[in-house]
Amino acid sequence: MTRLNLALLIALLASALYLVHTQYESRRLFAELDKAMSDARKLDIERERLQVEKRAQATPSRVEKLAKEQLQMRTASPAITQYVTLRGAVPGTASEQAGQP
Amino acid sequence: MNKSLAYTSSPLLAARTPVWRSKFIVGAIALGFVALAARAVWIQVLSNDFFQKQGEVRFERKLELPANRGRILDRNGLMLATSVPVPSIWAMPEDMERDPRKLAQLAKVLELPLPELEKKLQDEDKSFVWLKRQVDDEVAKRVAQLDVKGVYQRKEYQRRYPEGEAAAHIVGFTNVEDHGQEGMELAFDKQLAGRPGSRRVIKDRLGRIVEDVGEQVPPVDGRDLQLSIDSKVQFFAYQKLRDAVIENKAKAGSVVVLDVASGEVLALANYPSYAPNRRQNLTGAQLRNRALTDTFEPGSTMKPFVISLAMEKGLVRPETTIQTSPGRLTIGGSTISDSHAHGLLTVNEIIQKSSNIGTVKIAMQMQPRDMWEMFSEVGLGQKPQVPFPGAVSGKLRAYKTWRPIEQATMSYGYGLSVSLFQLARAYTVFGRDGDIAQVSLLKSGDAAAGVRVIDPATAQAVRHMLHLVTLAGGTAPKAQTMGYSVGGKTGTAYKQEGKGYDEKKYRGVFVGIAPIEKPRIVVAVMIDEPSAGKYFGGDVAAPVFSATVQQTLRMLGVQPDMNVKPQVVVERVEESF
Repeated sequence: MTRLNLALLIALLASALYLVHTQYESRRLFAELDKAMSDARKLDIERERLQVEKRAQATPSRVEKLAKEQLQMRTASPAITQYVTLRGAVPGTASEQAGQP
Repeated sequence: MNKSLAYTSSPLLAARTPVWRSKFIVGAIALGFVALAARAVWIQVLSNDFFQKQGEVRFERKLELPANRGRILDRNGLMLATSVPVPSIWAMPEDMERDPRKLAQLAKVLELPLPELEKKLQDEDKSFVWLKRQVDDEVAKRVAQLDVKGVYQRKEYQRRYPEGEAAAHIVGFTNVEDHGQEGMELAFDKQLAGRPGSRRVIKDRLGRIVEDVGEQVPPVDGRDLQLSIDSKVQFFAYQKLRDAVIENKAKAGSVVVLDVASGEVLALANYPSYAPNRRQNLTGAQLRNRALTDTFEPGSTMKPFVISLAMEKGLVRPETTIQTSPGRLTIGGSTISDSHAHGLLTVNEIIQKSSNIGTVKIAMQMQPRDMWEMFSEVGLGQKPQVPFPGAVSGKLRAYKTWRPIEQATMSYGYGLSVSLFQLARAYTVFGRDGDIAQVSLLKSGDAAAGVRVIDPATAQAVRHMLHLVTLAGGTAPKAQTMGYSVGGKTGTAYKQEGKGYDEKKYRGVFVGIAPIEKPRIVVAVMIDEPSAGKYFGGDVAAPVFSATVQQTLRMLGVQPDMNVKPQVVVERVEESF
């Protein structure tokens, strides 16, 4: 009888310790998961920020300024454009005389 | 000597005590346990609010989950406005270390005057005060380096507007609390704003989250808003307008570009404008979205409507001639005059040369009611159906109150008022073969539903007249643009000052359609108080029209409908034998 009781006591203690361990593990893993999620959010925000920055670098005003000042380009006009009509599309008037220097 | 006293032989034990005494003790102890148990039940089960709360205070935290405000996109999905988190600096005054040297450093880093900073720290609330909201990353880093006790940072969302001043009026802006204040940001604030969520968690000693408690409320992000604006068209329209306003030393200007088929607003710009990210020292003049919120007398731009009505009524045909000499006409004691006497003009020429006398002579053959109906049908005096804050309806008085002289002046655009936006929309009647488009600031892509106003044949005839305006002999040859045929109408109106007209202040307007045979866009331009010598709509507004049409049609991929002498340089290498 005493032996059985002892065995049960040990089993109880072991199970209690295991419970503590599991709880600890679960909390640790949860904290890790949470951190990963907050990292994901941070990266998301960073991506948005970089996208804005990219967009700000490519606004028409900036592009035009750089093209005109640094690359000495000029705005296209119909006189220096060759219009190509796709087969099946309605032929335009300009395409017929374009392309002859 | 010492007489041992065995315990068992204690005389006390020998003494018989009454049984009730031991029973009483047992009972008392049992009662004590019952009381304890009852108390335990009371605390842990029945009335546990207080302790629960205390426990929560110690390890449970409620976290706010911020929602993103929706982005505003242009018709091609390019970003016009979006939110990014930026640091804000706050302090806990009661905890703060009051080292004058450090405070001075802090004030310098934050670019705040020291007295202002000190005042903030003396405010009533001892546990929280914003020092400066939405600062640059650089500033935040330097504040962190200063390491002043009691000064903290947190992330707040800030709106960014990559297009800057070009699209400022249409997009609008938000305040520091992320609520829309102007423009589409205000009009669609509900849709754009998200709903923040929350979650309750248990944090451990190190501040790590170890468990979720109860229900989570996920944040609902705001929905994106796609406008009908094309950011390239918008920029070019703004740029050309700005150059024209500066060149003509004008007070202000507006431009509206509409897609004829879909009724979408491709561009809507005003000058002066502002940079939405730096809004210090803004004036009302910069903020006003003139194209939608300012009304003016449209002047001669009304004439095509009067003529088209007369044609619908069968009163005139494009070739009908009207005598406009000697350039003066008296109605009800008031005299109407043309700036140049023209003599005998056809209806075509009346529009081409913008003759007031000719228009009035035609208009006076019609009933005020018919004219009023025409003006109403093209949207004058009515609020445009766009969800824009502050869009105005303009003024169109009831026809019953019109005196003959008023009917006469209204035929050439005095005595009623419109916004540039209304004017642009009204011209879709001619662009769409007689029906007026529903305009939209949001991308729809479909052809807009229209309401028939005039006969397609009439619309085409008027379009031809508008084309004549831009040819030699018209009032606006400067509206011509390379490769594309255009048509439009000039308007030059005296500005109303108080009760009368100020004969030195003008407003130059040009509204036009391009390409004239197969219209794609309507462009309306208004230049307010040009004061560099030129003031006719054909001189100040038409060049903006021309440049805007050129760029817009090119970007829309419309092929030129007129012959252009190609200047394509083709390098030819000699064939070698």
